[in-house]
Amino acid sequence: MINVCCRAIAQLRACRPIPEPQVRELCYKAREILIEEGNVVSVHAPVTICGDIHGQFHDLMELFRVGGDVPDTNYLFMGDFVDRGFYSLESFLLLLCLKVRYPDRITLIRGNHESRQITTVYGFYDECIRKYGSANVWRYCCEVFDYLALGALVLGATTDVPPAASDNENTQSTLPPEDEEVESEVLNANGDILSKTLRRRFAGLSMMSHHTNSSRISPAPDVDVPSPPDHPASSLPLQSSPSSQSLFTPPTSTTGAVLCVHGGLSPLIETVDKIRLIDRKQEVPHEGAMCDLLWSDPDEIEGWGLSPRGAGFLFGADIVRHFNHNNDLSLVARAHQLVMEGYKEMFDKTIVTVWSAPNYCYRCGNVAAILELGEDGSNGGCIARANGDQGRREPVGTDGSEGGSGVLWNLASPGRRYRVFEAAPQGTRGMPAKKPVGEYFL
Amino acid sequence: MPGFPTLQRIGDVKTHRFEEPVKKIYDGSDVTFFLTSLAYRDIMTFMLQLNRSVVPRKQDVDGTARVVTWPLKSKDVAYSDSVERLRALLTRLSKLVDDVPLDTGPRRFGNVSFRKWHQLVEDQRDNLLNECLPEWLAPAYPELASYLLGSFGSAQRLDYGTGHELSFLAFLGGLWKLGFFPEADAGVEERGIVLGVFEQYLSLIRKLIVTYTLEPAGSHGVWGLDDNSFLPYVFGAAQLAPAITESDDTPTEGSLPGAPEPSWVSKSNLVEKEKDKNMYFSAIAFIYDIKKGPFWEHSPVLYDISGINGGWGKINKGMIKMFNAEVLSKFPVVQHFLFGSLFRWEKDAEARPPPPTTHATSQPLRTPTAASPSTTRPGEAPWAGTPSQPPLGFVNGVTQAPWASRGPAPPPPRSGYAAAQRRTLPPLTENWSKHEQNRPTERK
Ligand SMILES: [Mn+2]
Repeated sequence: MINVCCRAIAQLRACRPIPEPQVRELCYKAREILIEEGNVVSVHAPVTICGDIHGQFHDLMELFRVGGDVPDTNYLFMGDFVDRGFYSLESFLLLLCLKVRYPDRITLIRGNHESRQITTVYGFYDECIRKYGSANVWRYCCEVFDYLALGALVLGATTDVPPAASDNENTQSTLPPEDEEVESEVLNANGDILSKTLRRRFAGLSMMSHHTNSSRISPAPDVDVPSPPDHPASSLPLQSSPSSQSLFTPPTSTTGAVLCVHGGLSPLIETVDKIRLIDRKQEVPHEGAMCDLLWSDPDEIEGWGLSPRGAGFLFGADIVRHFNHNNDLSLVARAHQLVMEGYKEMFDKTIVTVWSAPNYCYRCGNVAAILELGEDGSNGGCIARANGDQGRREPVGTDGSEGGSGVLWNLASPGRRYRVFEAAPQGTRGMPAKKPVGEYFL
Repeated sequence: MPGFPTLQRIGDVKTHRFEEPVKKIYDGSDVTFFLTSLAYRDIMTFMLQLNRSVVPRKQDVDGTARVVTWPLKSKDVAYSDSVERLRALLTRLSKLVDDVPLDTGPRRFGNVSFRKWHQLVEDQRDNLLNECLPEWLAPAYPELASYLLGSFGSAQRLDYGTGHELSFLAFLGGLWKLGFFPEADAGVEERGIVLGVFEQYLSLIRKLIVTYTLEPAGSHGVWGLDDNSFLPYVFGAAQLAPAITESDDTPTEGSLPGAPEPSWVSKSNLVEKEKDKNMYFSAIAFIYDIKKGPFWEHSPVLYDISGINGGWGKINKGMIKMFNAEVLSKFPVVQHFLFGSLFRWEKDAEARPPPPTTHATSQPLRTPTAASPSTTRPGEAPWAGTPSQPPLGFVNGVTQAPWASRGPAPPPPRSGYAAAQRRTLPPLTENWSKHEQNRPTERK
């Protein structure tokens, strides 16, 4: 199978669909692997978290170029591999092949588009018919969709921004002053630092917050730390592998776990353990906990609201704060919504949206992002689960319903490195033969 | 013009009883009925009438046969006063866009200032109609305004699609029925409507889409014909079909000699060359304006159509069939259409029953669990009954659930997790084997 898989990976990387019998075999094998996974997969940091792909194959290749290849980089994809784009098939099958080949280095969870009903409306079905002339391949893929996990829990992430080989020298030579700690940073596709956020301090009134805002890919003029001026154009960003990590990571503080889901929270789910009780091996239902996890969106409201999507709910900051607090989470990472800057942190950094489809639908003009979380070196990187006694806590907003001071102390958020990237250049894509058009034009 | 039906005018507007148009299409079976209704008959008749009008003509001028074509901005098309009034209306609406500054606040995609523009139009509705329509049409304002206001996208969803385009066609058709356009030789007034009014409407729409970054309403992604429009492809192909006499049938194959090749659509320089003359190329040029990437990749359906060998006549015929199947027969598109005294929700006695597959395949589908043995669990309810159909869309770059009910439902109680009130969703009809039978007919 490994050989078959390697060949299929090579073919799919070249953006060529594999023959139907191979798809069938691949899907069968993938199901065997996925069925062993729980509804909530445990993933250990370091990990690179990715959002919607939507069949943008060439941009997925760009993502791997920017974030490193499988298996060198440990990946977590939060669903919506298919629909809308031209290459849903190639994109999904490649990810699936990588999953079969390196099951411990790539995690795939289900998005709302990984569904029979949605794919018949939003394009993946049409694509399979066009590329194979029958619905068989679509059907095989849908059967895999039913086995995808619903979420993932990232454990053992550090509160430091993860080290990256591409800016190691830089990091070393310009360590922030003793009393400053980088909480998050944004890098462009070449590894140049665009902006940094320093962690707030909570001693007395010195609530220092420094944020250089840079929402586009070009380096902002006022970055705290200059990017290396002589960054060689040929050197691709290297990945933080365990070996390089130990060189540069001082013992750091622990943070809570990070819950990754495609959409968001559900009013029917108070604890992560409740997700584990769902019988997930089915088409995405129209309502209920499973549906909500794949369809909901955070919004500037209090409590729960109706979603304009007609499925899932809207949920406000208070919901996230309490959920994180009750589950010892430091962050919820989710995808599902186009954000022009590729990522968007909300609600006091208790939840983040990651979007990985640049120039969505060829026209939205957005950049894409991936989120890297580093490994906490202080405990051998094997913290089973952060609890109340472990890890630093920071206040996250106020909550009226609590009364009193109303400040909720949640676990310190993990250090976050965002890499933003633009759509892949189109130079190399050849023009295919025109397919015979359907019945209307006969 | 015997043999070529045109939309019947209403005999006496003074005694006509107007109605506030209302929604009638709530589920798949309503679409089935719609396809046999008077409203459907009138829409198709008017669309075909406009289509035929811009097909090149063989004319006899002083004993010599000559071919007259009707490109955009053709000097051979004289605009009637009625056409000029509508052009003035569209110009007014376009100027209003310049009056509404863009919202600079945080946004995901669509610009909320579009709502202000839409509100302005709504507020000035009667003013605008008073200025642009003759006084004797005043009793028709409420009915006509419903179609006009439905023509410019959804203020709530910040999107625009073929359903809105259909509403504008109905606005024009309603005016036709009321006798707003002067009686003239076959095709004369229609050409003014297509080239003078409809193309200007499309310019306004393109301005709205670009200015407020409106999204496609209901998107198959790259697998649809066009994110927003349909009719320019119909009329544009007609403009390049071979010339006919007034008694010939509308052509179904061949091209006007010297017409641009269909394959030119994938070459942006050639599209640029044709876009000011032809509606098809004008629509393609807009795709080039808003999309980055290889044409065959972001527009594979149009790319495939560009390989057709039967000429523009054949493309025109195919586009009409496709309009019928992908616009008029699709629940997500026609659910918003309104019915009143001009477009009646009433059975057309002469209608043939629609072929069962054209509409059935456009319904949301539910795979019965039996199709994949791995998901079959005892006691799982089979899906049966009539589906209530979804607003489908691409709202601010987000996916909407195709099964979503439109009515507002109360939000779940804030604190009660377990007690959270759930919307009830309608059951779905299609069973899998039926889906499989029907599906191939929907291929494109
Ligand atoms: Mn999604």
